[in-house]
Amino acid sequence: MQHKTISELHEMLASKAITPVELVEESLNLAKKYEFLNCFNFINEEKALTQAKNATFDPNNPLSCIPVAHKDLFCTENIQTTCSSKILEGFKPPYTATVVENLESAGCIAIAKTNMDEFAMGSSNETSYFGKVHNPWLKDHVPGGSSGGAAASVASGVVPFATGTDTGGSIRQPAALCNLTGLKPTYGRISRWGMIAFASSLDQAGPLAHNAKDCAIALDAMTGHDHKDTTSLAMEATKTVDSIDDFSSTKTLGVVKEFSGQLSSEMENAFQESIKTYQNLGYKIKEISLPNIKYSVPTYYVIAPAECSSNLSRFDGVRFGHRSEEVKNLEELYIKSRSEGFGNEVKRRILIGTYVLSAGYYDAYYKKAQQVRRLITEDFKNAFQECDLILTPTSPGTTFAFDSKGSKDPTELYLEDLFTIAANLAGIPAISIPQTFVNNLPTGHQLIAPHLNEELILQTAHHFQQDTDWHLKSPSMEDFS
Amino acid sequence: MDKETVRTICYLSRLSLDEDKAKNIEGDLDVILSMIDELQEIDTSKIEPMFSPLEQTAIVHNDEISSDNKKEAYLSQAPDADSDFFKVPKVVE
Amino acid sequence: MTWEVVIGLETHVQLSTKTKLFSRASTSFGADPNTNVNLVDCGLPGVLPTVNKEAFYKAIRFGLAINATINQTSHFDRKNYFYPDLPKGYQITQMDRPIVEGGQVEIELEGVHKVINVTRAHLEEDAGKSIHDADPINSLIDLNRAGTPLLEIVSEPEISSAKEAVAYMKALHQLITFLDVSDGNMSQGSMRCDANVSIRKKGDKELGTRTEIKNINSFRFIEKAINFEIKRQIKVLESGEKIVQETRLYDANKDETRPMRTKEFANDYRYFPEPDLLPVVINDDEIAEIKNNFPELPNEKKLRYLNELKLSVNDADILSSTKSLSAVFEKLIENGSDSTLAAKWLVGDISALLNKDQVELENSKLTTELIGELLNNISDNTISGKIAKEVLEECYATGESPNSIIKSKGLKQITDTAELESMLKKIVDDNPEQVAQFQAGKDKLFGYFVGQAMKETKGKGNPEIINKILRELLAK
Repeated sequence: MQHKTISELHEMLASKAITPVELVEESLNLAKKYEFLNCFNFINEEKALTQAKNATFDPNNPLSCIPVAHKDLFCTENIQTTCSSKILEGFKPPYTATVVENLESAGCIAIAKTNMDEFAMGSSNETSYFGKVHNPWLKDHVPGGSSGGAAASVASGVVPFATGTDTGGSIRQPAALCNLTGLKPTYGRISRWGMIAFASSLDQAGPLAHNAKDCAIALDAMTGHDHKDTTSLAMEATKTVDSIDDFSSTKTLGVVKEFSGQLSSEMENAFQESIKTYQNLGYKIKEISLPNIKYSVPTYYVIAPAECSSNLSRFDGVRFGHRSEEVKNLEELYIKSRSEGFGNEVKRRILIGTYVLSAGYYDAYYKKAQQVRRLITEDFKNAFQECDLILTPTSPGTTFAFDSKGSKDPTELYLEDLFTIAANLAGIPAISIPQTFVNNLPTGHQLIAPHLNEELILQTAHHFQQDTDWHLKSPSMEDFS
Repeated sequence: MDKETVRTICYLSRLSLDEDKAKNIEGDLDVILSMIDELQEIDTSKIEPMFSPLEQTAIVHNDEISSDNKKEAYLSQAPDADSDFFKVPKVVE
Repeated sequence: MTWEVVIGLETHVQLSTKTKLFSRASTSFGADPNTNVNLVDCGLPGVLPTVNKEAFYKAIRFGLAINATINQTSHFDRKNYFYPDLPKGYQITQMDRPIVEGGQVEIELEGVHKVINVTRAHLEEDAGKSIHDADPINSLIDLNRAGTPLLEIVSEPEISSAKEAVAYMKALHQLITFLDVSDGNMSQGSMRCDANVSIRKKGDKELGTRTEIKNINSFRFIEKAINFEIKRQIKVLESGEKIVQETRLYDANKDETRPMRTKEFANDYRYFPEPDLLPVVINDDEIAEIKNNFPELPNEKKLRYLNELKLSVNDADILSSTKSLSAVFEKLIENGSDSTLAAKWLVGDISALLNKDQVELENSKLTTELIGELLNNISDNTISGKIAKEVLEECYATGESPNSIIKSKGLKQITDTAELESMLKKIVDDNPEQVAQFQAGKDKLFGYFVGQAMKETKGKGNPEIINKILRELLAK
C-alpha cells in the first residue's frame, strides 16, 4: 500500500486485491518500520485493527476503510492528545474533534496521532517535546512544520493522507518540503470543535495527500457546518470531487509583484517552470500587486501570539495536564507547572502575545495589526478583480538541516512562512502542490483563491497534475528502514 | 524591553525564565519586537480593525438544556482531585 | 468638617435562563459538585463557546425598563487573569460594546425621590466556586457556577449614603424579579454587588480615592459594609493620612471591611475581542417582540389591584412591591381563592411570619398550594379565623398541609347549631349573675359569654353562630 493514493487504495479494496485488515496491518507495519522518522506520538494499533476487522468496505464511498493519521492537536476521546507538549503529556480528552468524527463517519480508520511543532508553533517540527521529525526525503532534515509529522507520515507512504492544521502555513509549507499536496480551506469551512487552539482567528484544519483529487476527497468529508463552533460557516460540506475535472484554462493566474527577488536563483527557476507549465496549458499569467504584503509576517506575529497567549492560559496545572511536584502555593503551581510544561518557542510567543495586549501597547500593536490585516485582505479583494487565482512559491527554500535555522535569530524561521501567512490573515483558501525539484529535493508552489473557491483551486491544481509528474515521485526511504 | 517589563509580562503569563535562558529569551523578544515594529510605518488611522475573517454574526443556541458533562473523566484526569472537587493549594484572600 | 460620600455600585445579577451563557449546561442551583459542567464550561482544550440568545433577551428587557440604549450589535471580549475557578484563564465579558448603555433607576428614600443614572449593563460569564474552608491544606473547586450568565449593572457614582445604596439595590431587585430577568434570590447568590466608596470634603469638586468592597450579597451587609467603610475613611483622612486605593472584603462576623491580600503586580486584564465568537446582532423585530411581551411591572400591578380587585391602598402597595408576593397572590386567585381574603392573609399574618424570620416567601415552607388550602378551609368555614392563625403557624413551621393539621389536631370548627345551643344553654345556666348584669345593661359582658364559649369549645366554635345563639338566649 506504500505510497499509494486514496483513489488507488480504493481500487485495490474494491477489486479485493487487499482487505481492510490487510491494509491497516500493512500501514501499522510501515509505521513500525519507519519509527526512526519519529512522525507519530501515538500509534492506535488496537483500535485501528478492531475497526478494520469490523468494517464493511463500501465501494460507493471513496474513503471507506482508508487509513488516516491525525495531527496530535485533534482531540480523540480516550486517546492521548498532547500537541507535542510536555504540558499535555498523557492527556486523554473525554471527547472527539468534529473533524475526526467526520472522517470516521466517512469510513476512515485512524492509525495514529502525528508529531508536530509544540502547540503548532513552528515551521520545522523541531520544537516538539517528543523530538524532531525527519523528512523522508533526506535524513536529519526537517519535514517543515507545524504539521511535520503529518507530512512525513504521508510522504513515507505509511498513510495515504493525514489531517493537519494551518495557522500561518503549517499545512502548505510541510507539503512543499515533502512533495505533497496540502490544502488550507477558507476559514470556517472545517469545524474547530476539538481542535486545540493556537490562534483562533487564523487556525484551519486541512488535508495533506499525494494529489489534488485525494485532497478533494478528504476535504469533502471534513467540511460542513458544526453548530458547536460559532466560527463555522453556515454551509453544507463541499462537493469538490465531482467537479474536479472541470478545470478551465481560460483562467488568469496572478503573480505577485512584491514577491519577486525573494528567491535564490534555483528556487526562482523552479517557480518559473511552473509558470511556463500553466502557460502551456493555456492559463493567462498577469502581474498583480499586493501592496501591503510585506507586512504580513509582522502582522501575523502580533495576532497569532496575542491569541495564543490567551488560548494557552487554560494550561495551568489545575484541571488536567502537567502539574509541578511540591508546589507551596497557588502562584507556584501556575508558574512552575507552566514553565516546566512549555518549550521555549511557546514561551516566547506567549510572552510576545502578553506584551502586545498589555495596557498601553494594545493600540500600537494588536489593534494596529488587525487594521493592517484588513488592508492585506482588501489587497487580495482588489487583486482578484484582475485574476482568478494567485500563484506564488510556497516556501523560500527546500528542506534544511536540523538546528540550522532559528537558533541565533528566531525570526529566521518565521520567514519560512513569508508566502503562506497572508492567506491565513485574509481567511482565504490556498493549496501547495509539488513542482520542479531543486538539488533533488521537493519544492512546491501555491495557488490562492478568493473565499469559498476551493473548487477552483482543486480543479487548477488537478489540471497541473494531469500534465506533470512531480507529485508522483516518492522518496526511496532506504535511510530509514 | 527593559527588565521591569520582562518581569511584568512573565508574571502576567505565569512563566518564569531560568537565569541562563532568561538572557537569550529577552534577546529573542527584542528581535521579534523590532520585526513587528515595522507595522508602525503604515498609516491605519482610518481603518477598522479586522478581528476575524468572518463577518457573519454569531449563531446562537436555544435556552434548552443539553448536558455533555463528564464529571468522572474531568476529576480522574486532574492532577489533584477527589470524587467531587478539583484541588489546589489553599488560597488566602 | 463635613464629609460628602460618593458611592458607585457594580451589581452582578445571575440571569434566570435555563442554560449557561456559552454552553447548554443547566444553571440549576444546588446540584452535586461538578455535575452542571459541560465540556465548554470545564475549559478543556479544543472547546468553543456558543451564545445563549435568551440571555440577550433578558438583558434587553432590563435595558428597556430603565430607558437605556440597546446596542443592537454588541460583541464579547476576553478578560485575562489566572484563578482556579476561572477554567479558561480568561472570562468572556463585554468590555468595548455592552448590550445596554445608559438608563435610569428611580429610588425613593423617606418620601424623597431620586434618580440614579446607570452607566452600562453588560453580559458576562460567572466563574466557578472556590471553597477555602472545607479542607485544611487545599482549596476545593466546583465549576457548576462557571459559565452562568451574569448581567453586570454599573451605576454612576451618584449614590450618597449607605441607605441610598440599599434603596438602589432594592429598586434593582424589584426590577429584575418583576421583569423575569433573575430570580433575585440573594441567599443563593443571584445578586451580589461591589461597592466603590470614596469621601471628599463638602464642596470639593474632585473625587476622593476610592476603595472597592467586593461581593456583598445582602441588603443588610451592603448598608453595614458601606457605613463601616465611610467611618474608616473619615478616620484615616482626619488623622492626616491618605486613603489607599485597594480592594476590600466585608467580614460580617466582625462587621468590618479588611483589605484583600495585596498582589505584587497590578492586574492587567489585556482585554481583546473574543475571536471564537462573532458579533451578536439583535434585529428590530426581536426588540419589538420583547417590548410587546413586557411583564406587568409593580406600578401597573398596583393600579390593577386597586381598580379591578378593589384592594385597599396598603394591600395593593405591599402585594405589588415584591415579585414573590404578587406571583403567589395572582396564582391563588387563578386557583379560585377570594382576592380580599388572600390579600388579608398575605399582607397580614404571612408577611408577619416572614418578616420575623427575615425570610423570603419562596424560601419558606409556604407554597401557593398550601396557602390556597388554608384559605379554602377559611372560606368554607371549616375553621375560624382564629384557628386559621394556629394552622398557619404550624404549616409555616413544618410544611405540613393545612388539611392534615386540621385533621390531626381536630381543629375543625364546630358549626352544629344544636350542639352549640346546648353548650351555650349550659353556660348561661351556670352564670346567672352575669346574665342578670347583662340584662340590666352591662353590654360589655357579652364578651364574657363569648369567652366562656370559646374556652368550652377550645376556640373551635363558629363565632357567628355562637353570637346569634347567645343573643337569643340572653334576650330577656
